[in-house]
Amino acid sequence: MRKIFSFLLLAALLTGTGFAQAAEEWGIDGEKKARFEAKVVDVLCELTGDCPANCGDGKRQLGLLKDDGTLILPVKNFDIFAGANNDLIGFCQKRIVADGLLINNPKMPLFALQFKKLAPDGKWSRADQFGKDWSKANGGKKGSQWFKNDATIKKIISENGVYGIPGLKAKE
Amino acid sequence: MDGAARKGSMMKKILTLALALAFALSAVPDAQAAKSTRVSVTGEIVDTWCYVTEIMYALGTAHHQCAVWCAAGGIPVSVKDKAGNVYVVLKVEGDGTNVANPRILNIQTHKVTVDGDLYERDGVKYLIVTKVANDQGIVNLTHDEYGIQPFGK
Repeated sequence: MRKIFSFLLLAALLTGTGFAQAAEEWGIDGEKKARFEAKVVDVLCELTGDCPANCGDGKRQLGLLKDDGTLILPVKNFDIFAGANNDLIGFCQKRIVADGLLINNPKMPLFALQFKKLAPDGKWSRADQFGKDWSKANGGKKGSQWFKNDATIKKIISENGVYGIPGLKAKE
Repeated sequence: MDGAARKGSMMKKILTLALALAFALSAVPDAQAAKSTRVSVTGEIVDTWCYVTEIMYALGTAHHQCAVWCAAGGIPVSVKDKAGNVYVVLKVEGDGTNVANPRILNIQTHKVTVDGDLYERDGVKYLIVTKVANDQGIVNLTHDEYGIQPFGK
């Protein structure tokens, strides 16, 4: 029972629940709901001046550059175990309104993107593009379980095991 | 040159200067190279989200599978050093992709020493790895204590 409860709690934390177009609390230390306008940028370009077309076509980490010059790193979206790049690449160099959780952790600040829209008056959409794209690329399989069905992941885990070391087992 | 002609000439110079300035400013790209520092970092390759937020135990063998899931899902990967510093990896050597980079997927949880350029911006340490100098493989055995994170077997 406890395991089921933990699983559900964790799933809620990792994926978010409900569909309200406003940031949802996930119970993470240091989290704060945040909605702000920012330009979607290629982080590598922003830092080094090495700027390929279309923010690197999704092959580079994307950031949110606020008007005051603050660069925010979105590392998570609404999909379980997935980042926000697929949600943002369509807005490369455009201004969006980002809605989600800013996490002020002593190690480093993070942003979890939950909803986004083209600024100022675009249509809100849930930040779950990764799952949709994965499903489309995998014959319509459910995006919610993508991590269990992804061919690349399956290959790595089958070769090296869940602990990453072939043959390593837990003590009985 | 009379006063009117002198005034006209001055206006022309100011206008030319203003146009030149406007052109120069418009030619400056939005992104400008920031200053970097050469560093050598030794630490474990970790999933940035799980490790920083502490939503679960996110180090070593116990978290390896989840770290692979997250890297494949495009969550930025970092190197965590002994002091607890988190270096977000933006590029590895000449690799053309850094989102779900196949090379990084295959060395998740490994203890590595990397050389690179460090950029610090708004509280985040961004690392461009120019060389993976040493790869010790997975040495942080945490599974007996923490099981398989996050769901268990």
